[in-house]
This record gives sequence, C-alpha cells and structure tokens, in this order.
Amino acid sequence: MLYNYYMHELAIAEALIEQVGTELDRAGQSGAVKRLELAVGRLSGVHCDSLRFAFGLLSPGTPAEGAELSIRQPPAISRCRQCAAATEITEIVLDCPQCGSPEIVIEEGRELLLESIEIED
Amino acid sequence: MKLVAAKSILKANDQLAAENRQRFDAAGVYCVNVVGSPGCGKTTLLEALFDHLRERLRPAVIEGDIAGSIDAERMEALGVPVVQINTEGACHLDANMTASAAAQLDLTDVDLLMVENVGNLVCTAGFDLGEHLRIVVLGATEGDDKAVKYPAIFQGSDALVISKIDMLPYTNFSIPRITADMKRLAPESPVFQVAALKREGTEELAEWIAEKKKIVSHG
Repeated sequence: MLYNYYMHELAIAEALIEQVGTELDRAGQSGAVKRLELAVGRLSGVHCDSLRFAFGLLSPGTPAEGAELSIRQPPAISRCRQCAAATEITEIVLDCPQCGSPEIVIEEGRELLLESIEIED
Repeated sequence: MKLVAAKSILKANDQLAAENRQRFDAAGVYCVNVVGSPGCGKTTLLEALFDHLRERLRPAVIEGDIAGSIDAERMEALGVPVVQINTEGACHLDANMTASAAAQLDLTDVDLLMVENVGNLVCTAGFDLGEHLRIVVLGATEGDDKAVKYPAIFQGSDALVISKIDMLPYTNFSIPRITADMKRLAPESPVFQVAALKREGTEELAEWIAEKKKIVSHG
C-alpha cells in the first residue's frame, strides 16, 4: 500500500488502529470504540494534529472508526548534574531551568503509547 | 467500559524488530542502522567502513531508498552483498521491510549487516529495525543546531558521526555545540568526526563498531 508511509504519522495511525483491533480481540470485545487515550511524548517526533488527521483518514471501516483521540503529551525531564534538579520541560532546553548550568541530561518524552480504549457498553 | 492497554503504539513493529534481532543473533550477525538526512554522507561512510572492516568481518548491506538503486550499485561495485529496498514513498524503514530484505541474504555468510535507512531525521526515529546499534550521521554543512531541532533521533542513537569535517573551515558549524547537545540527549553515546572521502577518522569509528560487535558476540 503506497499511502501508508508518506508521512510517518500515517504509519503510526495505521499501527494504532491495528493495535486497537488486537486489544479488542484479546478482550473479546466488539462494541464501538468511543475514545482512545494516547500518550505522545513531547520529544517523540510525532505531530498530534498530523496523527489525528491520519487517524481520520485510516480509521473508517475499522473497529476504531469514530473514536475520539484523547492525547496526553508527557513532558521530557531535564536532570541537572550541578543542582540535581529534575525539571519537566515541554521542549528542548540547553541549560538547567533551575540553576542555569549547561550540565544537564534530557530524559524521557519519547512515549508513544496506547493507554486505554473506551468501548460503548 | 474502559480497556487498559498501556502498550506501545508501535508494538507490532517492536515485536518484529525483536524477532529480527533474535535471527541476527542466532546467525552471529551484528546489525547497524545508519540514519541521517539526505546527502549527509551515509553511503560514503559505509564505503569507508567496509574498506576498514572487510578483511576482518564479512559485510552485507541493506539500502533503503524511496526510489532507485544508485546506492546499491555503489555497494555492488565494492563487491558487498546488497539488498535494495525501495519504499515507494515511505519516509523510513520498518522492521517488516528489514525482515524481508534480510531474508534475501545468506546470513550465515555475514558478520556485519549495515542498514542504510531512508534519508530522514524525523520518521526514522520511532522505528526499531532489530539493529544492535544505531548511528546518526550529521554533515558539518547541515548546521550544528540539528540535535536541538530533531531531538528524538539523537536521543535514541548510540553514536553521533559528524561527517564532512574537511568542510568545517567553510561553515560556522560548532563541534563543541553539537557535542554538548548530544551529551544532553544521549550522555553515553560517543561523538566521532570523519571526512569519509579522505578516510579521516573513519578507522576509529570502524574499530569502535568492531569492538561493540565483540561485546555482543561474547556476551
């Protein structure tokens, strides 16, 4: 299928829809999906608007059709080697937001998770 | 009713990648995923690495490109077994494409499998191929702000290779800046500086890869 990969949010939306199908099968559920809760980290490189757009394109005709996407965007963490502060950040920083030291390590923020599936009772 | 999933959206890819890694391990193949933007020097870097390593390690390469087989032809000219993947528009390789390509190689004749990913600093970041090592290549002409602009790919890479360092005098690229940014994002990952056409710095990188392979093979 050609269209799958023109932008990687399409490939990710396709994987998400497949994952929803797998989870529904596993739980023996076939009801309509109302809502999907996702975690898309701030540094994951995934653009949420593009993901919604791709999901809208690809979900019709699948069990995920019509589901609302509820997207949480976990922050990354700047961990300072000088003052030991662990600060949540929503974009890359060059210095510790607390003490200004450049001796920081940036962790996390790369989550790409399907957290829950809400099904109509 | 709410089903709690708490699983990676790319779980299917991650599982396939894990299977690829098992297949490589069983065959004694060490796999390296080389990522970087178009024109950063990935293919030239591979040519240099094969120059240094081919007497010790039997190489093979998977070339990922949107179209064409120019890179594969360059590898064939070196006598390195090569499989070309044409993604026909895809902006990255995934574990499934890698599995299909690897199936076309006789892995019993391969020690070092280099995968040249599609030129892209964004989309390649999320897709594990089943590699043991991921190397990101950044040309000195591309600007020293790229780690900050495309953090995911740098954060997830095991080494940064700054290529075309013979061009440094003609740019405002700051090695200290990109090195500091890489250290913030991937503190354990070394930074190499190479001019691959002149084979400058490439032997050091080749040695590092060979050492990494030894650790996996013996561990």
